[in-house]
Amino acid sequence: MSASPDILSAGRRQTAALSVFLVVQTLGTVFFVGDVIGDLREDPTSMHFIFEAVVTAALVLGILFGTFALRRTIELLRAQDQALQVARGALSDVIDRQFQAWALTPAERDVGFLALKGLDVAEIAELRGAAQGTVRAQLTRIYSKAGVSGRAQFAAFFVEDLLGEGVPDSAPQAAQ
Amino acid sequence: MAAPRTPSAKPSPGDPPALWDPVVRLTHWGIAVSVLVNAALDEGGSLLHVSLGWLVMALLLLRMVWGVLGPGEARFSAFPPNPLAALRHLRQLVSGRVRQYPSHNPAGAIMAYAFWACLAVVTVTGLVMTGGATPMQVADEKAAVASGDWSALIKESDGESSDEENSLRHTAEEVHEVVANLLLILAALHVAGVFVEARAMRRNLVAPMVLGQRRK
Repeated sequence: MSASPDILSAGRRQTAALSVFLVVQTLGTVFFVGDVIGDLREDPTSMHFIFEAVVTAALVLGILFGTFALRRTIELLRAQDQALQVARGALSDVIDRQFQAWALTPAERDVGFLALKGLDVAEIAELRGAAQGTVRAQLTRIYSKAGVSGRAQFAAFFVEDLLGEGVPDSAPQAAQ
Repeated sequence: MAAPRTPSAKPSPGDPPALWDPVVRLTHWGIAVSVLVNAALDEGGSLLHVSLGWLVMALLLLRMVWGVLGPGEARFSAFPPNPLAALRHLRQLVSGRVRQYPSHNPAGAIMAYAFWACLAVVTVTGLVMTGGATPMQVADEKAAVASGDWSALIKESDGESSDEENSLRHTAEEVHEVVANLLLILAALHVAGVFVEARAMRRNLVAPMVLGQRRK
């Protein structure tokens, strides 16, 4: 839950700013249309009227395009948010299944989740109201059940799948 | 079991939006504040009153465009006016079992259309009363009168404007006042409706119209 709310709130700020702009634009256009209708009653053939009518038509078109673009932006943001939710759900499903496969106890699962979220032993102990020694022992048992050497490998176990196969090929080249 | 995970409140597609889009929110609150100020605080015919009237007209027009071009739940097609469905919904409300709708519920939809019709009537009659004068023209006229040039007033009331036009303005004035009062009644009903629905649905209906639920 670190990066995604930022993306979402940035998107929200952006659409809010666009909407405010759209409101101001509409207000200006409505005034302009009122003015053009006033001119229409006076002298519809004057250059002044024709020019203003063209400008006003452009403004109206601008609003329609702005509205359409804003709709697209909002829908895009929603689609991204949904994709993120799905990915999140998928990842936690994977973690759930793996924890079951390792036959972790419920307490060990909780500790495992917290460790994956990046909390250290003191923080986990405080959250769970347990002694630090207990948490450390639970972590050790989790690592041995999972067959990993420590926390870094434990976290890497789940990240590895997401990275795909790009690493072994490109890493030696990058090192040279 | 997995307590540390954030509860993934997955919105199912049938639920009302957790947050209305910014255009819906801006037009909603812009119109609400303008109507209240024009009804209670300022003087009819004043520069502020006419300006707010034009603002409401702009917001209303934008909402109409948004009702065609906007995202799903803001579009008219998401909440067609259907009095029968509205009555059915009200009956469900009495019995305490309400369905969730992806946009406005049928009763709320009728309320929205009633609001828009009233707003359109009030702005059009307002335009008739001022002769379609923009706020800039009203300001100019007021400035002219204030500086001692009364010709602006004479133009309005001399023999050129026919009886027909005068009676039209008079009618417009009557309609303007009646429908404006109707708007206030609708607003009161709307607020009451939001409270009743929120209780029946066990869901905060105000937050989606303001900033949405704050995520922790």
